[in-house]
Amino acid sequence: MSKIREQLIQHEGQLPPGTPDTDHWIVYTQKKTEAPFKWAGSLNAPDTELAVQFAGEHYGLDEVCTSILTHHGSFAHDGPCGIEPLQPGDAVGDDGSSWCAFGLPRRGGNLTLVGTVNAPDVDTAIARATCQYANGKFVQFRVVPEEKIVISDGKGSLIWRLHDMTYKFARGYSKDVREKWTRIRDEEKYEDYRKEDIHKHF
Amino acid sequence: MINASNSAKPAPTPSQEDPELLAQFEQRISDGILIEPGDWMPEAYRMGMLAMAEHHANSEIIGALPEGEWITRAPSLRRKLALTAKVQDEVGHGQMLYRVSQELGKSRDDMLRDLVTGKTKYHNCFNYPAPTWADIAMIQWLIDGAAIMNQKTLADGAYGPYVRTMNRINMEEAFHFKSGEDMVLTLMSGTKSQKKMTQAAFDRWWPVTLMFFGPADKPNAESRPPMRWRMKIEKNDSLRQRFVNRFAPAAQDLGLKINIVTKDDQGNVTSTTPDEAIMLDEESGNWTFTQPDWDEFWRVIRGNGPCNDHRLSLRRFSYEQGGWVRKAVGSGTISTPPAA
Repeated sequence: MSKIREQLIQHEGQLPPGTPDTDHWIVYTQKKTEAPFKWAGSLNAPDTELAVQFAGEHYGLDEVCTSILTHHGSFAHDGPCGIEPLQPGDAVGDDGSSWCAFGLPRRGGNLTLVGTVNAPDVDTAIARATCQYANGKFVQFRVVPEEKIVISDGKGSLIWRLHDMTYKFARGYSKDVREKWTRIRDEEKYEDYRKEDIHKHF
Repeated sequence: MINASNSAKPAPTPSQEDPELLAQFEQRISDGILIEPGDWMPEAYRMGMLAMAEHHANSEIIGALPEGEWITRAPSLRRKLALTAKVQDEVGHGQMLYRVSQELGKSRDDMLRDLVTGKTKYHNCFNYPAPTWADIAMIQWLIDGAAIMNQKTLADGAYGPYVRTMNRINMEEAFHFKSGEDMVLTLMSGTKSQKKMTQAAFDRWWPVTLMFFGPADKPNAESRPPMRWRMKIEKNDSLRQRFVNRFAPAAQDLGLKINIVTKDDQGNVTSTTPDEAIMLDEESGNWTFTQPDWDEFWRVIRGNGPCNDHRLSLRRFSYEQGGWVRKAVGSGTISTPPAA
């Protein structure tokens, strides 16, 4: 173990002055080419370049993904969040600049990129996104100016590592563990024990 | 688990909130509707969720310390890769939970400073030592097993951003737990000395894991805000019982003995006696067990555990050493590292 970890470090005096938090960025990942981008999380970074790099290092390595979409938190404009799925309304139109529309399928769910709309301002963009994409499937829409969105597809920067990453996944252990357990316990006892596992991730 | 000490000032009590808005909020909660950030919420709810998410975030990054110590000493390349990935995951969970907390109104820097100055807490179990590789196996099997039980219920809570984050975290916890199970199974199928080392680690971690769920809830817990507002949805004793029902028979089948232990100030076990209370109560279907030493729990939470000083001093060291990077990144000014 390193000396730093072995010794009890004595601190004297006050903490040095703090530093303000850097900007807030929102991250969405695409698991397969052609699959929709889905909310993955958010992070703090001082500029676009570091935000994209951090997004790749953090969210890009959690699960296999082909692309990462990032935007500054201040460019996210959320419409009201319904209790029931939203009805489309009648805000039809095609003038103005392009906005990316993200739909929230249910409260507590993950925002998903559903497409783009053209609109002259935020409110109209939300109304048109609702009109075009709601169809009783979403409780909320977020719009982000398309020009403010950065997509990293792994061609210019590495998202998913090229070497074997399976050691990061529970499924690599599942078979081994079952085999080892059933050498000492019967299947019924093992299945009962497994009830508390997080099954959907195996 | 709620850590009320993380709140800077008293929040308005529910009775000071707008009664109409409060009634609507509570109706939504009881109807199982999740709360999203744009919704009205009582100040006490916001502060309670902040305290909970911040405590959880603190626990993730402090929890990486005992395991991080073992990366260089892992017994094989496969174990080293898995442990490295796990430690990376835990710090990543901290990052995600600090983001949830930031959205609730506290800056990351304030949270990191409050952590290293002891103003806010982290999970008690990380104030214990991990002197052998078997301790790492026990942390991943017992502590992560307990965390999954707890966090699965938290993923059924009412605050949307926390639920989303919990779902992502649980996906990775599943790998941590399986990795831990695999290590324990391997060690208990090994040599006599491996089994002895595993039993010693189990003796250290069993009582700590029983404490993991926190002391018994106050009377009428269901009607108090944390449960009434579905910030937590299961009582500590109920989670603890489910844990024992799952792990006591599994440990026994592995050949591990469940003991009542006494420890010295350094967290070393000084004596063991078999826990005679461990048995299946056929009538209730529950396993009975001896409660852990709750005096020890309070001693450790007050800062007098075997590793409290060590964990916080290392965390403060990291905070201070990283200051020049944060400054350079945040302001774009060139800065230099402090002398080591």
